[in-house]
Amino acid sequence: MKFERADIIRYGTIAVLAIAAVAPFLLDSLYILNLLCLMLIFIIFASAWNLLAYSGQGSLGHAAFLGIGAYASTLIATKSGITPYITIFLGAAVAAFIGILIGLTCVRLKEWFLAMVTFGFAIIVQTIAVSLLTPLTGGWDGIASPRLVSPDIPGYQLIEYYSILLITIASIVFIWYILRSRIGLAFAAIRENEIEARAAGVDPVRYRLLAFGLSAYLAGVAGALEIAHIGYITPEIFGVDLSFWPVTYVILGGLCTLAGPIIGTVVLTIIWEGLKMAGLTFGRYVIVGVLLILVIIFLPKGLVDLPNQVHKWWKQYKKPKPEQVPVLE
Amino acid sequence: MYDTGTLLQIIFWGLYAGCIYILLATGLNLIFGVMKIVNFAHGEFLMIGAYITATVFFLTGFNPYAIILVSMLALVGIGAVVERLCFRPILGTSKLNEIFLSIGLIYIFTNSAAMIWGDEWQSIKSPYAGISVPIGSLNVPLDYIIIIITTSVILCGLYVFLRKTKTGREMRATSQNRKGAMLVGINVERMDILSFGIGCALAAAAGTLWVVSGQVFNPYMGSIPAVKAFAIIILGGLGSIPGAIIGGLIYGIAENGAAYFLGGVWKDAISFIILIVVLVLRPTGLFGEESE
Repeated sequence: MKFERADIIRYGTIAVLAIAAVAPFLLDSLYILNLLCLMLIFIIFASAWNLLAYSGQGSLGHAAFLGIGAYASTLIATKSGITPYITIFLGAAVAAFIGILIGLTCVRLKEWFLAMVTFGFAIIVQTIAVSLLTPLTGGWDGIASPRLVSPDIPGYQLIEYYSILLITIASIVFIWYILRSRIGLAFAAIRENEIEARAAGVDPVRYRLLAFGLSAYLAGVAGALEIAHIGYITPEIFGVDLSFWPVTYVILGGLCTLAGPIIGTVVLTIIWEGLKMAGLTFGRYVIVGVLLILVIIFLPKGLVDLPNQVHKWWKQYKKPKPEQVPVLE
Repeated sequence: MYDTGTLLQIIFWGLYAGCIYILLATGLNLIFGVMKIVNFAHGEFLMIGAYITATVFFLTGFNPYAIILVSMLALVGIGAVVERLCFRPILGTSKLNEIFLSIGLIYIFTNSAAMIWGDEWQSIKSPYAGISVPIGSLNVPLDYIIIIITTSVILCGLYVFLRKTKTGREMRATSQNRKGAMLVGINVERMDILSFGIGCALAAAAGTLWVVSGQVFNPYMGSIPAVKAFAIIILGGLGSIPGAIIGGLIYGIAENGAAYFLGGVWKDAISFIILIVVLVLRPTGLFGEESE
């Protein structure tokens, strides 16, 4: 019996969902449950970054949206008393709004310029958060944030895990829907060749801004979820480190694919925790860096493409060496 | 309220900060000119240069200004290896790959340094610390004057190298037209490795000057100066070395002015505000021609 590609994807998705649903019972430990929650949140974050990259824009400052979403959600929740389940999406809307404003300055820029400006924005936002907005944000000390599920409820960790899982699935389905719609087609067209896209009637500016808004919205959801999960927020959330992580996850998994961010985040989280158990601290980053460079050079399409690449290498290996042509005397 | 003395001081302190940025930005510009790539990990070379200087200084106790040569030479080697192993395989692929590769390099260099030297803030004491020279109405630390002179000497050396020597001319030819350079028999891959090495050496010089001026350093210090250097070459125009020098001075002064008038937290943000304003108004930079 031969499996078609579509079958593999369908059964693979069902298997992943089943594992995600029973994982808390298989791995009965609070540490791992917490890890799974963070992993899911980072899947949203990496997918959000990937959505922007899908339209040909590589951002190095996505932590800005993560942080804006988180702060906005926290502040709305504390001032009004609304449950975080709703403020997560309100906070993300603020992130999307700022994202579109940042996008407006970036529509003419490409590659390094865009990377630089987004990187700069993350630093500017952090600076504003610790200087002008200190009365709201608590400066470098940060503020407490309402938890997603109150710790008084028995088994609150499990409720939290399943809530985060649901939001993650919803985000992935949302991205999947966008990518296969006309919008996704327009994003890909802009990425591959802007002039041809324009000739075909796609307005690059509008779609770039749309990509910025959507990506910032999802990043904001991820940030608000993370903070509602941890229960505390500091301006560290705007840090360079958090801007680089989604890039690493996506490149490792596969740029501009739906499964890439998911595979990258899962694989890297497992490697990361494995190395932590092996007692490495700084060495972990060195290994991740080497891995990243190796993937960029030898597997430009990421781990998603690994089966194809292995197949290709295997065929090359099995191919008989060309016979020596006998030379006529 | 603000007398001329204060303003002069801000400008002079800005000049000194600008020197470090100029060296970094010139290196980046040289690499960009020849290879048409941008290495976001350039600041990590500054950090490695700083640590090499500090280590040699702790071990031997030589004058730290002399150690600049050691750290520059070491970084030529490291730069050549990085170019050969990491950047050459991805030359000609998507431009985003350079950014991603740089992130990998940042991870590797920062954390290797943290493994070797620890991740605390450190500093060394220059032999001339505490000596200052009166110039007009203000007292300028001797170190700052030496730093400004050292930077000028290095830049003049680079200028002579690029204008007067055969290798320098070949390098400029490669940067002007890669295919044409290949046609007249220039080994462009040698030029790549050489320009990357020189760029890294300039970053090492910047690192040394950073250390000897008494500023603190740790393994994570590199990323912000590197991004600023990148902002400077955008401000001055990609590939234009005079642009890098003027841009570096503007940044140094603007930063010090912002730190003085708005408060220290704005020091980093102000450079990006300038960058964004420039990019929005003039996407090719102040002095740049149409890039590519």
